[in-house]
Amino acid sequence: MIGWVRNRLDAFRGRGAYAATVPPMDGALRPNTRLEEAAVLARVSSPDNLVLHQGRVLFSSGAVIMALEDGQTREWRRCAAEVTALASVGETLAMGLADGSLILASDADRLVTGLGRCITSLSAGEAGQVIVCVGSAVHCCDEWKHDLLTGGASGSVWQVTLADGVAKLLAQGLSWPAGSATSGGQTVVVEAWRHRLTPLGGVPLVSDLPGYPSRLSPAADGWWLTLFAPRNQLIELVLREGPYRKRMMREIDPDHWIAPTLSPAVDFNQPMQGGAIRTHGIIKPWAPTRSYGLLVRLDRKFHPIASYHSRADGRFHGITSALQMGERVLVTSRGGNAMLSLAEVQP
Amino acid sequence: MASDVFTRWRYKLVPDKIVGEILSKNWVDNAIPVLFLLIALGVFAALIPNMFTTGSLGGMTRTAGEYLLVALGLTIVVMAGGIDLSVGSVFALANLSMLALGGVVGLPLWLAALAVLAMGGVIGLVNGVLIGYLRLRAFLTTLVMLIIVRSVTDTLLLSYSKQMSSVQIAGPVWDFLAFKTILGVAPSFAVAMVLAVLAHFTLTRLRVGWHILAVGGSRRAAHNAGIDVRRTVCLTYVMSGMLTAAAGIFYAARLASLGNDTGLGLEITILTAVVLGGTSLGGGRGSVFKTFLGVVIVVIITNSLIRLGLRSGASSLVLGAILLIAVGIDVRWLKNRAKLLARSYVSPTYFALPPLQKVTRAPTTPYAINDLLSDAEPIGVGEVDGPEDVILDEEGNLYCGSRDGDIIRFLAPDHKIREVYVHIGGSTLGLAFDREGSLLVCVGGMGLYKVTRARDVIKLSDETNRSWLSIVDDSRMRLADDLDIAPDGRVFFSEATIRYEMHDWIIDALEGRGNGRIICYDPRDGSSKTILSGRQFPNGICMVPDGQSFLFAETWGCRISRYYYEGPKKGRVEPVIHDLPGYPDNINLASDGNFWCGIIGMRAPAFDLAQKMPRFRRHMVMQIARDEWLYPNMNTGGVIKFDLTGKIVQSLWDGVGERHPQVTSIREHRGYLYLGGIFNNRIGKYKIPGADPNWTAGQAYWGGQSYEGAKP
Repeated sequence: MIGWVRNRLDAFRGRGAYAATVPPMDGALRPNTRLEEAAVLARVSSPDNLVLHQGRVLFSSGAVIMALEDGQTREWRRCAAEVTALASVGETLAMGLADGSLILASDADRLVTGLGRCITSLSAGEAGQVIVCVGSAVHCCDEWKHDLLTGGASGSVWQVTLADGVAKLLAQGLSWPAGSATSGGQTVVVEAWRHRLTPLGGVPLVSDLPGYPSRLSPAADGWWLTLFAPRNQLIELVLREGPYRKRMMREIDPDHWIAPTLSPAVDFNQPMQGGAIRTHGIIKPWAPTRSYGLLVRLDRKFHPIASYHSRADGRFHGITSALQMGERVLVTSRGGNAMLSLAEVQP
Repeated sequence: MASDVFTRWRYKLVPDKIVGEILSKNWVDNAIPVLFLLIALGVFAALIPNMFTTGSLGGMTRTAGEYLLVALGLTIVVMAGGIDLSVGSVFALANLSMLALGGVVGLPLWLAALAVLAMGGVIGLVNGVLIGYLRLRAFLTTLVMLIIVRSVTDTLLLSYSKQMSSVQIAGPVWDFLAFKTILGVAPSFAVAMVLAVLAHFTLTRLRVGWHILAVGGSRRAAHNAGIDVRRTVCLTYVMSGMLTAAAGIFYAARLASLGNDTGLGLEITILTAVVLGGTSLGGGRGSVFKTFLGVVIVVIITNSLIRLGLRSGASSLVLGAILLIAVGIDVRWLKNRAKLLARSYVSPTYFALPPLQKVTRAPTTPYAINDLLSDAEPIGVGEVDGPEDVILDEEGNLYCGSRDGDIIRFLAPDHKIREVYVHIGGSTLGLAFDREGSLLVCVGGMGLYKVTRARDVIKLSDETNRSWLSIVDDSRMRLADDLDIAPDGRVFFSEATIRYEMHDWIIDALEGRGNGRIICYDPRDGSSKTILSGRQFPNGICMVPDGQSFLFAETWGCRISRYYYEGPKKGRVEPVIHDLPGYPDNINLASDGNFWCGIIGMRAPAFDLAQKMPRFRRHMVMQIARDEWLYPNMNTGGVIKFDLTGKIVQSLWDGVGERHPQVTSIREHRGYLYLGGIFNNRIGKYKIPGADPNWTAGQAYWGGQSYEGAKP
């Protein structure tokens, strides 16, 4: 009863769970410009899904899988639809496509279907298995904004055995699972809309991140976590304002919504927040923004220990994948259409 | 949509903005005591029959008169940041002294009264010297004074009460003070009211009153401002002592009491009255009228409680409780008023713009986006801060306004040398040259000013007619924005909004209401008159060369209209462009007879939708930080050229929005277009292909009568 009253009061006063606040970027997440200053390896349209497969760096750009060799990119394979996820598991390259098919390519391709149309991420599980994150049962990968704004919680995580292609449901009812990692027999799933990392069947390891997290990939001693967009007070408010949100989704082009984006605003029809007015020729780095570049280094226990930023005035936003290559880290900035090479800073 | 119709009427019929406007008034502090008074009146009128008969009121004014006198003194002390607890004892001593001097000693009444007043003043002076000059704590000092004076009174009473009780003061004056009324009120009340008016006048209009308020507001700041803080503080205690003594005299006349409970607990009663009225214990805030309200409330309550038959102890209990509540409200109110005001002042209403036309880079469309302005040659990069308007004189010198209140001049021909032409203060916005070559300037927060060629700054207008139903004072000019001069010399200028100050101008966009107006200044008689009101951020003003009309832009309304100030259509407003895809700013003449208009930003569908949903904007203002609010998109701007039929002839943009993200001003001069921007740190100079290289606005406006001939 008290809980209910408090809930109603909070809803009325915009406090507690109804507060449109976002956690500050502090501690290990203190802003810097390391990502913005990283070396640009290649300019590619919408790069994503970096993997190391049999000694070769692969990544996707639309429906094409590209290879990065000696600083040059070349087309490696062309798929039937946009590539939404890649993972290298032993001899096999697992490819998730926008049409919902999962292709297990080794000597020959094997097609696994029935996982829905929204494969957001693939990662190597226990030996001979691949973990599949399905962001939503309702929306496809491109419709991630729709899923966020409708409070989507229909995502699921599957385990596919390479040997026979059989898919087993591990968890469902998740809010846009966008990445996963398996170590020591435990699979950790990233739930983007809930801003947290949770082991299957466990309590969250990291929660209340200041952005929307997606992919996890192994680092030298820990993990890399990408955050593809920042949280923003105005967006948090819109998420709580049902009538406005519904009308916005019904009447306005998705590109012009008050919603997170991958790339810095270039379209003058996009909404602008007060702090983001260009003054004296510059946009403040701390201006409120709907896109951001953020890569976070986690330790073995998945706790953040360092971060790499491209801030509100930066170019390399929409970080979607990272790959440790010895001393350096390759990073795809999907919003900045660039492949970056980053020198790791010891935390 | 049906819901839109409902929303529109809801916001049309219920004027939400009133709440914030009332809260922003200083007199709103009186609202709580007035409410309290009404409640007290209602409750006791219901409980006690014959509560408000004339006889009863007359009796009440006797007490009220004495209370008010003491309360006036305490108000002055509290407003200067102190407190005087000794009033009860001084009151008792004054009563006793009056009876003793008038009766036993047998002095004439006037002399006895003067002596008693002087005695009150001396006790006050002791307090004042200790607190003001020796910097003792007011609370402790006056508490000690309370005890000392009370002891003295008791001792005197003990020694002389027998003698005194045998002598009665008599005489017509004494009886008049005791029993008669003036216009239905007790003499003490009449005197108190006269003194209250004087005190009000002193506190609000005289130097010493301002000093008292300043000291109460902040001792340190008052000291820094050159006020003699010690003397001011000392003075307040003297006043308090004398006023209390005066109250004691009236009390003596009324009751001739020799009881030892005279004035016992009076300090609590008076303090309750003062704080209940709304005078802040922290100092610096309060008024005589508030104290008056507080006294009336306290008298009604004490009187009623006695009539209800409560024991005197219970009466004190009730007063104590009220004091506690009053102090609580005082503290909470002071702390939260600004917050409440900040949250409730922005009052969004329903506003629907016409459908947004698609603007693309396709060159065939009227507003085709391009990057031509990115190539504009920069002038004064980093040397100007917010040149909202720019203008050139016939010699080619370039003038611009600035955020810090200067008019900056860049010298012809290359505009490399910068000088401060004149400092005005306030944000210098719209600029125009008159026939004599004087520069007329709209200054945000100040009004309309003129800078002569000798660089003298002359105020032309800073107020207009006050409209009857406006709660905010709309006679004052908050945001004079742009101006133009008619051939007959009248100046028409826009005031963008009457609800926000210069630094908050964009917030006006969130309201979606017509808060602005256009004012006409007539130099023939120096008068200013509002000619159009309820406009949505009226901004640029530009004369049409027909001598009968001018064009004006309404920024948040995304439209340009034409107003006729002369001729057969006089007084009419005709739309020229009603559905701009961006927000128009200043309008100026082009050499080919068309008009230039600066576009400060572009319409975003998400913002347009929010304009139709006032509740959403209200929640936004209440719940999230100001920098996070949704605003019109001001990071892409440009210039359009249009004709009087509303046809778009040309458009120039900075599509990337790096050099000229907002264009607030444009001036054509000898084949070039000069661009200003309110958030920019530069002026742009763009070569207009094919423009008349000899055309200047001065010639176009004043032709052969240009001030060229009158050059010194």
